[in-house]
Amino acid sequence: MKKIIFASLVLGAVALTAPAHAIDSTGCGLGSMAWRGQSGILPQVAAVTTNGTFGTQTFGITFGTSGCDPNGRVTGGTQKMVLAFLENNLEQFAMDAAAGQGETITTLAGIMNMDEKTVAEKTYQNFAVLFPNENVDAVDVTLKFYQIMKA
Amino acid sequence: MRVCHKYFLSTLFSLFVLPAYASNLSDWAYSPSWLALVHYQPTLTGYESTIGSENFYLSPCGKTNPLKELDATIALFQSNDDKTKCLFPARYLWLEKNNLINAPFPKCQEFEQFKQDLQPSGITLLFTDAYMNNSSSLFGHTLLRVDTARKGTQLLAHGINYGAWTNGYENSFLYAVYGLAGFYPGGFTVKPYYDIINTYNNIENRDIWEYNLNLSNEELDFFVAHIWEVGQTTTPYYFFTQNCSYMLMEVFDAVKPELNLAQGFPVQTIPLDTIKEVNKREGLVKSINYRPSRQRKIKYRMQQMSDEQYQAFLDAIQLNLQSTQALPEEQRADVLETAYQYIQYQYVAQDIALSEYRKKSFALLKARNQVKAGQKFNELQEGENPVYSHDSKQISLGLGTYNGEFFEELRLRPAYHSLIDRSFGFLPGAAINFLDMAFRHYDDKNNYVLQRLNILQLTSLSPIDEVFAAPSYQITVDILRQLNPSDEDNYYTFNAAVEGGGTYALNDNIWFYALTGVQGAYGGGLPHNQWLGLSLKPGLLVRFSEASLQLEAQKVWATSKIGSTLKWNITADYFLTRNWSLEAAFSYTQNYGKNVTETVFRLKRNF
Repeated sequence: MKKIIFASLVLGAVALTAPAHAIDSTGCGLGSMAWRGQSGILPQVAAVTTNGTFGTQTFGITFGTSGCDPNGRVTGGTQKMVLAFLENNLEQFAMDAAAGQGETITTLAGIMNMDEKTVAEKTYQNFAVLFPNENVDAVDVTLKFYQIMKA
Repeated sequence: MRVCHKYFLSTLFSLFVLPAYASNLSDWAYSPSWLALVHYQPTLTGYESTIGSENFYLSPCGKTNPLKELDATIALFQSNDDKTKCLFPARYLWLEKNNLINAPFPKCQEFEQFKQDLQPSGITLLFTDAYMNNSSSLFGHTLLRVDTARKGTQLLAHGINYGAWTNGYENSFLYAVYGLAGFYPGGFTVKPYYDIINTYNNIENRDIWEYNLNLSNEELDFFVAHIWEVGQTTTPYYFFTQNCSYMLMEVFDAVKPELNLAQGFPVQTIPLDTIKEVNKREGLVKSINYRPSRQRKIKYRMQQMSDEQYQAFLDAIQLNLQSTQALPEEQRADVLETAYQYIQYQYVAQDIALSEYRKKSFALLKARNQVKAGQKFNELQEGENPVYSHDSKQISLGLGTYNGEFFEELRLRPAYHSLIDRSFGFLPGAAINFLDMAFRHYDDKNNYVLQRLNILQLTSLSPIDEVFAAPSYQITVDILRQLNPSDEDNYYTFNAAVEGGGTYALNDNIWFYALTGVQGAYGGGLPHNQWLGLSLKPGLLVRFSEASLQLEAQKVWATSKIGSTLKWNITADYFLTRNWSLEAAFSYTQNYGKNVTETVFRLKRNF
């Protein structure tokens, strides 16, 4: 009887505690596993700032990012922040852009220090420019977003 | 061997330099604020700090000696070791506030960058509800958010997460053993809040509760400085005790020692209990915000649909947009947006492939963009605040009859929630019983016995409908006192069962379920000591805010006749208050052609 109780206590405890709150994927979201080894934020920022078009973050895989800050922080200048934000929130932004409202638009307006209504209006009207097809990536969207906001 | 010569030097030093303070330095060292700042907890012989990293201590004896550590800290800030000073900004603030130092704090580039990135404007305690697909998240999870003063939204704030570094051991059996034994180091990570939202709300479909704290500017600075201090450290991570939630309690105490939160969790730290404690401290929680999971948001929108909209939604998720186009324009946006959310849900659940996902999402968004009129549906704003859920430990007293014999019963359950309990604030359909034990005194035989020890029972009932389909399951490990029908003797068995099935919800309150699976029993009283069996278990679960009812039948076909049973259970609870309830339970078991009938009335108290 005692043996049974002991064995089952151990078993129960083991079963209950199996995986811990593992936090190994520091600062880069869950998807970082899938994207590990891809180009980091720096080449992508370069891509944005030099009008290049290569990038890895395509529409559809924004949970986690290839271009996360190694310290897991919102950091850097406006462009870097916009890119990092869009990489991680591309799906939500696509929705908000299509609808012309939403939390990501408020956030982007904040980062760009622009009037939220203007950003909402412009993204709504230019949705087809921002998202021309189903295979867009975050770098493309960031570049187009900048062009549209400056227009 | 630890040598404490540094202590003597620094004591001499401070005696010489700070004669006025030296006399009461010991008072300072044992003041609640210093003890909390260095994470000291009382032990039988004195004090010991929780933090594991050696570099958190400036004195070789710092882990157990608050005075020596204070001494060494004062000495540090009188030295020119700026690099080390930069690791302890909160200690500096503490010394400065208490006039124990008058040297300036050096310029610390990394710490300054940290503050610049975070741009702190407040602190929010986050609670994410249970996640039944991962046993470590069964009890929910807590983390911190450093709110941001950046323009925009709190999406640009930062989540501070304390957890275990498990590098590569995740899938081994030892994983759990290591976790219990404190083998894994626990540490802090920082992530943008949008990442946290994606993880919990959108990938794991868990609600997030945000408890914004009432802190002065001075306390906020101190909080951030202290996060920087402990952020550099690691501490052995114990799943039950020194876990994510416990460490946050110590961090709160370090900033506001009068809160005295950590001492409330000497044995087990359940995340839900910690947010309740925080909410009990008067004036500490300033405001509460609820961020429902993606699944909950979709469901809430679906409830608001007209029949035509619902049909259009079902078509739209199959990429048939004709019925949406047939709707009046002002009704289309909600359908398309909900369909888009649902496609994302499906992709994350791995129900559809990436190519299909992209095609569907893009088509839905394009259609949405062509609709001028905005959204009409309300967004889900309110949920059942888990702070007002029943407490996690339970004790009950019962009176009943067992085949006509009267008994008295004492039941204890250290954690956490069963389906029959008041469900407010818990994940609907999810239940965890851990070490639920029942002791009885039988009047006729006048014996005291352990009637049942339910070591662990996990239940997850997920209603299946046209758009959401998740399996339901139940895992049970227990020890039961049984009656042998042939000789009327009692014996114990160790039992394990794994069952899966489906749940159908008539509405939010009335659920039907059916589970089937395998069962095994082991015990000296059994023929050949064991049996294996198949089980079928249909049930009905009715839950309202005032009362609940569960009807369950269970048929087992076992390799031994003694294991082949048919059992009927009826349990009804009436909730007197948040933590008090009355229960009536009736069970009837057919075994070997003999029957066991049991009726119990219980008074249950959660605490």
